[in-house]
Amino acid sequence: MSDIQLNRRAFGRLLAAGAGAAALSACGSRGTPGPDTPLRISAINHVWSQAVRQRLPEFEETIGRRVSMQLLTADQLASSYNVKLNASATDIDVMMVRALQEQLLFARNGWLADLTGLVEGDAAFDWADFQEAPRDRSITRGKVLSVPVVTERPALYYRKDLVSSPPATLDALREEAFRLTSRDLFGYVGRGQRSGAVTQWSSFLYSFGGDFTTADGGSGIGSPEAVAAYRFYGELLDRAGPPGATNMSLEQAMPIFAQGKAAFYIDADAIYSNFLDPTISTVREQVGFAPFPAGPAGSKPHNIPSWSVGINAFSLLRDDAWRFIQWISGPRMVTELQAAGIPGARASAWADPATLAAFPAELAESMRINAANGIGHDRPEVIQVGRARDIVGRPLVAGIIGQDVAPVAAEAHAEFADFLVRDNRQQEF
Amino acid sequence: MNRTLWTALRALAITVVCLIIAMPVVWMIAAAFKTNVQVTDPTVGLVFSPTLENFRTVLADGEIVRSLGNSALVGIVSTVLSALIAVPAAWAVGRFRMHSTGSLVLVARIVPAISLLVPWYYLFAQLGLVGSYTVLVLSHMFVSVPLILWIMIGFFEGLPIELEEAGHVDGLTAFGAFRRIALPLAAPGTATASVLAFIFSWNNFMFALILSDEDTKTMPVTLFNFISYASTDWGGLMAAATLMTLPVLVAAVLGQKYLVAGLTAGATKG
Repeated sequence: MSDIQLNRRAFGRLLAAGAGAAALSACGSRGTPGPDTPLRISAINHVWSQAVRQRLPEFEETIGRRVSMQLLTADQLASSYNVKLNASATDIDVMMVRALQEQLLFARNGWLADLTGLVEGDAAFDWADFQEAPRDRSITRGKVLSVPVVTERPALYYRKDLVSSPPATLDALREEAFRLTSRDLFGYVGRGQRSGAVTQWSSFLYSFGGDFTTADGGSGIGSPEAVAAYRFYGELLDRAGPPGATNMSLEQAMPIFAQGKAAFYIDADAIYSNFLDPTISTVREQVGFAPFPAGPAGSKPHNIPSWSVGINAFSLLRDDAWRFIQWISGPRMVTELQAAGIPGARASAWADPATLAAFPAELAESMRINAANGIGHDRPEVIQVGRARDIVGRPLVAGIIGQDVAPVAAEAHAEFADFLVRDNRQQEF
Repeated sequence: MNRTLWTALRALAITVVCLIIAMPVVWMIAAAFKTNVQVTDPTVGLVFSPTLENFRTVLADGEIVRSLGNSALVGIVSTVLSALIAVPAAWAVGRFRMHSTGSLVLVARIVPAISLLVPWYYLFAQLGLVGSYTVLVLSHMFVSVPLILWIMIGFFEGLPIELEEAGHVDGLTAFGAFRRIALPLAAPGTATASVLAFIFSWNNFMFALILSDEDTKTMPVTLFNFISYASTDWGGLMAAATLMTLPVLVAAVLGQKYLVAGLTAGATKG
């Protein structure tokens, strides 16, 4: 018996020693990437990423290093960052991030490298050439933490065969949508999901004269303007929208318009190609594009950096990661990508008529107007964006299902005010 | 009369349940043969002119084929290694009443997998294993070993001990009795447990999402290539999902006899 115990103990020691030796030897090799170590890019599965992937051989030749690009959905990308960067991962070098959704949190956690010196120190990169709204959103606590690569505004998609000209005001949109609603056609389709709808609703909110927060940082969703915007959006989807609209985000709403079952649709201009693709759309001959209609406060759509690129603070290949950002967000590549139909953030690219030729003329004009009027955020600018969107989205759902919006908005306003106090405390870093 | 009514009701209930279970699979297979316009058009049901374009696109995509290979490799290796460890362990737990040890192993099934990922990732990153097949096999074994162990414990406990005792009388050692008597008799149980472990591994998404890289990623992660920011290629997605389902479906159908025998064998003693 004592022999068995001795053996077990000896085995345990052997195992511990083996594991320790393996860990130590592995630690010893950490921190020195070899020439074969690839530059790793984590990105959203987006037309931008697909276009970049096709052009990677050019960049690989320049740096003499293989580039590995992982494409994921937005949720998976966020989960992947949360798990990996919590463990100080070094196998991500370039990170694609949503500046408005994640940057504040990532900055607080120290996950994004400071790019201020790099972007401002390179004259050829021309940081001042980036549009003001997206550029401002790349800066957290005075540090540039990301560089915007894809921008987004809302567009009004409409059926040219049903209306002679697009509605210029929100009132006209509502009137036309109600008039066109029938058994076979929805007058309007749009996002109705509690959290998913908030970003598109933001343009309605601004055009009614409201905002998510007030000038002193309090909740703005209880203001008369916000309540009017909630009421308008809810009524539009309730009376002219498809059944089950509260379950609809981009993935559900977009096919309804593409199938020719709705007269109007407001969503991101980045998705326009879906309506021109014959394998997805039955309305490619009939679809028209227009700027966001004016509300009581004018036409105030959002103009946001939907996707940006940053460098993982734990990356061992920071120099090559910066060279990638220089290459992909430099004036030449942004112009090239925009000419291929992917809207970027550089003012020089937007001023170049050749880059707009890739878009349908009506859409290019609508993008230009929306960019000029655009507001630089489409969701509350807080650390816990997901929670904030849940709170802000509740009165939207109430409106869509035909409930009285005012009491729900008042409740949400109180909850949002408490939330902002707590969130502000977390922002002290 | 009553009996006929009951039989009819039972048949109806079985049909309804089968339909509910089969509908998503039928929809998936039908969608794989549709264009994207047809998939998103609710007026197009099961009557449409089919296209093979989705399968052509999917099979021409080297990444899909590579991911199917990765899934098969990780699934087979993790299942075989898990069975090699868990089957003898289950015999030992069952025969020598080591149930507290067995319960300890079960902790692996109780702890939510997501809570393991951060420490695992940290540990494997330190060892330089992230992105390798080794880490995927090890992580899948973490779940497969308890699964096989607990299915097989019941199985071995159900085998009459007299058979092994007869072997001892004829000169077999304890391990010899396991190898020559218990193991062959436990073949249906081993098959059941292995098929279930393989299905778990084949479908596992979370471990592969975090621990694999572009070269080693498995099919559940690759499926998301069809879902992009602004659009979803439903036809391609369903074709790839159909291809992914086929091997498991074939394995389940072929192993059905063993599966049923294995699942019920551990349920009674004697």
